Amino acid sequence: MDPSEVEFLAEKEMVKIIPNFSLDKIYLIGGDLGPFNPGLSVGVPLWLALNLKQRQKCRIVPPEWMDVEKLEEIRELERREDTFTPVPSPYYMELTKLLLNHASDNIPKADEIRTLVKDIWDTRIAKLRLSADSFINQQEAHAKLDNLTLMEINTTRTFLLDSLNCMYKLRSNLMPGASKGKSSMDF
Amino acid sequence: MPCERKPMRYGHSEGHTDVCFDDSGKFIVTCGSDGDVRIWEGLDDDDPKSINVGDKAYSVALKKGKLVTAGSNNTVQCHTFPDGDPDGILTRFTTNVTHVTFNSTGTRVAAGSSDFMVKVVEVSDSSQQKTLRGHDAPVLSVSFDPKDDFLASASCDGSVVVWNIEEQTQVISWPVLHKSTDISNAKSLCRLAWQPKNAKLLAVPVDTKVHLYQRDSWDHVSTLSDDLVTQPINVVVWSPCGRFLAAGCVGGLLMVWDVDSKLCVERQKHEKGHTVSGVAWHPSGSQLAYTDSQGCLGMLEGFSSAASSSTKTTKVPANKEANDYDDLFDEDDDRLMDEGLSDTHSPTKNPVAGGDDDDDDDLMPATGRVRNRGAFLDDENSRDTASIKLGQEKYGEDDDDLDGAIAAPAAPLVPLRPVYDGPMPTPPQKAFQPGSTPSHLTHRFMMWNSVGIVRGYNDEQDNAIDVEFHDTAVHHAMHLTNSLGHTMAELSQEAVLLACPSTDQLASKLQCLHFASWDTNKEWMVDMPSGEDVRALCLGQGWAAVATSGLMLRLFSIGGVQKELWSLPGPVVCMAGHGEQLLVVYHRATGFDGEQALGVQLLQLGQRKRQIINGEPLPLSRRSHLSWLGFTAEGTPCYVDSEGVVRLLNRSLGNTWTPVCNTREHCKGKSDHYWVVGAHENPEQLRCIPCKGSRYPPTLPRPAVAILPFNLPVCQITTEKGQMEEQYWRSVLFQNHFSFLSSSGYEIDEDGQSQTQKRQQELLMKMFALSCKLEREFRCVELAEMMTQNVVTLAMRYASRSRRMVLAQRLSELALEKANQLQEEEGPGEQEEEPEYTSARGNSGSFMPPPSLQTVEEECGEEMEDEGETVQEEAAAENGKRLNPFAKGAVSPEKPVLKPISKEGRVNPFKVMGSGKPSPSCGQSGSRVTNVLDSMTPVRRPVPLSSSAGKQNKSPILKPLAPKSKSKTQSTLFNMTASKIAPKAANKKPRENSELPADMPKRAEVPPPAPTADNGENRKPKTGFQLWLEENRKSIKADQPDLEETDVIKEAMSRFRTLSAEDRLAWTERAKGTQAGDTDLKKRKRDGGAENDNMETDDSNAKKKKSLDTSAKLSAFAFNKS
Repeated sequence: MDPSEVEFLAEKEMVKIIPNFSLDKIYLIGGDLGPFNPGLSVGVPLWLALNLKQRQKCRIVPPEWMDVEKLEEIRELERREDTFTPVPSPYYMELTKLLLNHASDNIPKADEIRTLVKDIWDTRIAKLRLSADSFINQQEAHAKLDNLTLMEINTTRTFLLDSLNCMYKLRSNLMPGASKGKSSMDF
Repeated sequence: MPCERKPMRYGHSEGHTDVCFDDSGKFIVTCGSDGDVRIWEGLDDDDPKSINVGDKAYSVALKKGKLVTAGSNNTVQCHTFPDGDPDGILTRFTTNVTHVTFNSTGTRVAAGSSDFMVKVVEVSDSSQQKTLRGHDAPVLSVSFDPKDDFLASASCDGSVVVWNIEEQTQVISWPVLHKSTDISNAKSLCRLAWQPKNAKLLAVPVDTKVHLYQRDSWDHVSTLSDDLVTQPINVVVWSPCGRFLAAGCVGGLLMVWDVDSKLCVERQKHEKGHTVSGVAWHPSGSQLAYTDSQGCLGMLEGFSSAASSSTKTTKVPANKEANDYDDLFDEDDDRLMDEGLSDTHSPTKNPVAGGDDDDDDDLMPATGRVRNRGAFLDDENSRDTASIKLGQEKYGEDDDDLDGAIAAPAAPLVPLRPVYDGPMPTPPQKAFQPGSTPSHLTHRFMMWNSVGIVRGYNDEQDNAIDVEFHDTAVHHAMHLTNSLGHTMAELSQEAVLLACPSTDQLASKLQCLHFASWDTNKEWMVDMPSGEDVRALCLGQGWAAVATSGLMLRLFSIGGVQKELWSLPGPVVCMAGHGEQLLVVYHRATGFDGEQALGVQLLQLGQRKRQIINGEPLPLSRRSHLSWLGFTAEGTPCYVDSEGVVRLLNRSLGNTWTPVCNTREHCKGKSDHYWVVGAHENPEQLRCIPCKGSRYPPTLPRPAVAILPFNLPVCQITTEKGQMEEQYWRSVLFQNHFSFLSSSGYEIDEDGQSQTQKRQQELLMKMFALSCKLEREFRCVELAEMMTQNVVTLAMRYASRSRRMVLAQRLSELALEKANQLQEEEGPGEQEEEPEYTSARGNSGSFMPPPSLQTVEEECGEEMEDEGETVQEEAAAENGKRLNPFAKGAVSPEKPVLKPISKEGRVNPFKVMGSGKPSPSCGQSGSRVTNVLDSMTPVRRPVPLSSSAGKQNKSPILKPLAPKSKSKTQSTLFNMTASKIAPKAANKKPRENSELPADMPKRAEVPPPAPTADNGENRKPKTGFQLWLEENRKSIKADQPDLEETDVIKEAMSRFRTLSAEDRLAWTERAKGTQAGDTDLKKRKRDGGAENDNMETDDSNAKKKKSLDTSAKLSAFAFNKS
């Protein structure tokens, strides 16, 4: 799975916007949206919010968790705990990236938020690597990791699976193949 | 008690000083920050004796030839008096000693220090010390109980503590003072004092008041206060007789109270307004020495002896009582004090202002009060809407007024003057723009309404105005430099209106940015006449209104043409405009006791200008003021008061105001508010901005609009009944705008209207069912009176099903009455009702063929017996068999259950009441109702049919002619086209149908006549009769050209019957030959003319249903728009 695909999925997340135009309900396959009243906040999927934003048709209301204080709290918690803590949104990374890239003018303290979310992300990825490392070292058969987001899983999945495969091959070659190898060597 | 204020003299260098008298009263002893103690032989002594006691002396006490000083060298020193020889150190602290005092006998000294400790030392033996620990901050002052049991101390930790000296324990502690970190930061020195002699009271200066605590019980028995005291009291001292209490304040004010009567007997102002830091009574009680924080010494002379003698004679009898009932009279006395003062206040001012008014004041105490009030009302700075509080009458009194104005006459007037003790006038609230934040803010909203936001910035860098539109389609955002200093703004779809108050040179200006103008000049400006300031603005459609301080209302066209102007009955508070309506709120009169007396005018400025509300009082919550005024988006006047109550004009109840929401109920915190920016009636929304801990939102971060629901404050809202009542009446109230809009010629959302009506009827029915369940039959009838006729019918069934025969009987009478009423109204009301009728029908899609009444009843009954179900569910269930009339534009059922037979054979038990009432007029009712009604209509139909009951009645007759059908068996190309026309005709307003008969015959000639077309489901496509009719129609027509279509068929029927049996058989054969499933001719004959009617109705039903069907199917693809 591509990160862009994950991002695509994240674009279905609802965000609040304050439109500056007036439009009746629109009926889409995914459901009805609107009505849009200028000045009144309305929930729309992220993709529409960004589209409208780019056309300067709305202001985006940052999600509640996208707030310096709350993110600091989350970061501290994330650093304190050994396990993964619940994140404010299953698409926090994607949302942050998309919103900050396209609508940073609507988000107070955008730079701080970017740093904070990056910190949280780094902490979590570090944990993920660590757990993958111990998983392999201890040659466990299974492990349980809660509260991982799709994007996080996605960053490590291909590599982890491939390397596990690879190691399995190597290991399975080692045991029975020890003699085989010898024999083949003999030839 | 007139006293003489001696001129001040310099005693010490600038800084804190303290003063006391010696036992005989011969000497005045002062100490100062120069570290000297000076012994004066009276105020005129030019050569006082000086004793140096250290760097600084903070406090001095003198008794029995011992002079004790507290200095900055952390010690309490003793000197002999009057020689001033050092007599040793009494005690030491770790930091500065702040206050020393002797006990009454002079045997002990108490000292408080900045190291939080209080020490009590025997003067004769300084080794006998008692240390009192417990304060958490530097000790401000100490005071001995004259009986030597207790010691009171005040500290910077905010507490005043009474200690038991022997046990060295705290007896009681009052946390009454302001907390501070150090003596230097403390607002007040808080020098306490015990009443001498009987030691009954302890006086504690608490801010601007003096609290008196009773010994032993330690109750707070009374408070001494005075209006003049605006700054904290520093020092209190009892007169030696224990009856008067002198106080020195930070602002330089000296007060003397008679403690028994709690009246202020003396007020004096320090000549330079310096803080009084020390006060001492002469042992004889005739003099009062005081020192200030600038090192000066002053003296008041000759008042207290006179006062004590004079007041003694008058007040002695009252003394005992006063002591006993201190608590009782406490409040009243304070009040009297207040009132008395505000009365006497103006006379004290007058000598300064000019003596002209003196006479008036003496004669009529009230005039002084009024003038006084007027003076501060004009004080623009003193208030804005945010700061209105109760009892702010004294707000405008400035120190300036008081300086030097406290002349002697003030004091003696107090007890003599009759004191006004009635309701106090409320200062009228200032004019404001609804949707703006106070003008003193540097960043403020000048306007936030449904169109956009106007922000004003007024700081060092910038004086500018930002205009931003919610809908950018209106106009792009604007940035204006605010060179004129506009303070008011208003915004509409067409223009921005700005106004500034007048300055010294410039007149008050009105500026209009008319951005919607099609010419190039988008701006105009008008100067107000001199002396008139713009106070309020508003914009309507094509006009602007300005209310000025000259009580004028000036109307401008949006292009800048001056139009009507008229006088307002009072100073304007605010205005609002919407379309052609102008709403003005002004001060009707002076309010009392915190109330505002506002009046409201509503004017219609359209073609026919008229006043709709003529200056009626505007109801406000108790002790509140107006905080928002405007119109809902639909144009109903609406306002919010400071208590957060939203009121809406109820046009259907003689323009009364109904509270529709209390925003405070939605607030989480006590200091949270909702700042209202707009209201909508459909959907019911109150748009406002939540403000945490304030009344107004800040401009940054940009606040978000929240939506509050409306709620009528009905009783018992928690019960099901209350809730339904609330919903019903709210729905009724919020429906008023429909009739207003249509009466003023606007388009209205008919769908919305019919839906609200439908909902109302549903609610009524629910309430009816509830009351039925509770066996409240009388209430049921009351509810039924509010229902439309059709719903009454349903209610009647419900009643009879639940075996409430009496109720059913009454309801049937009621229904009859309603039916009659309807019929009477029919004539004039017809035009209006028709569209509703169609829409209701269209909505309900409930043109199912009439099942026998019996069946309906049974169905109804079964469902209604099921108590648990709501009426809605019942209706749904009932309809489930046929179609769902609630789904708007619902797809009509594929299988209408046709039960034409026996319809007329059964007796209709309700026929009486239904008689003569053409069913179509039932349009107002909800679909479910229509539904039931429909099932009844065929029964009644014959009656109106024969008569010329109105245009509507024709439509059912006409429809059969249009060949029906999309029924698959029948659809020929021709039929298709015909049916396309027919549904249209049927769907359009029935009015149009009335025009149809003319061209109907033409069409009717060609297509197969209706009866044949009917009932694809019944497999009776064409009968012999029909074939015959096709051929013979023309001849019938020719014979009797004036016949209606039904009559044609009837005629045809009779002719067909006259044919010989063979002929008829032949026709039948022909019919059989052409069609597979033929009809039973005999049956047809037997049914005769009646069947024709059936067919017609069936057909018409089927037709309508079909027509609906197609559109519904289409609309189903285009989503369900509701």
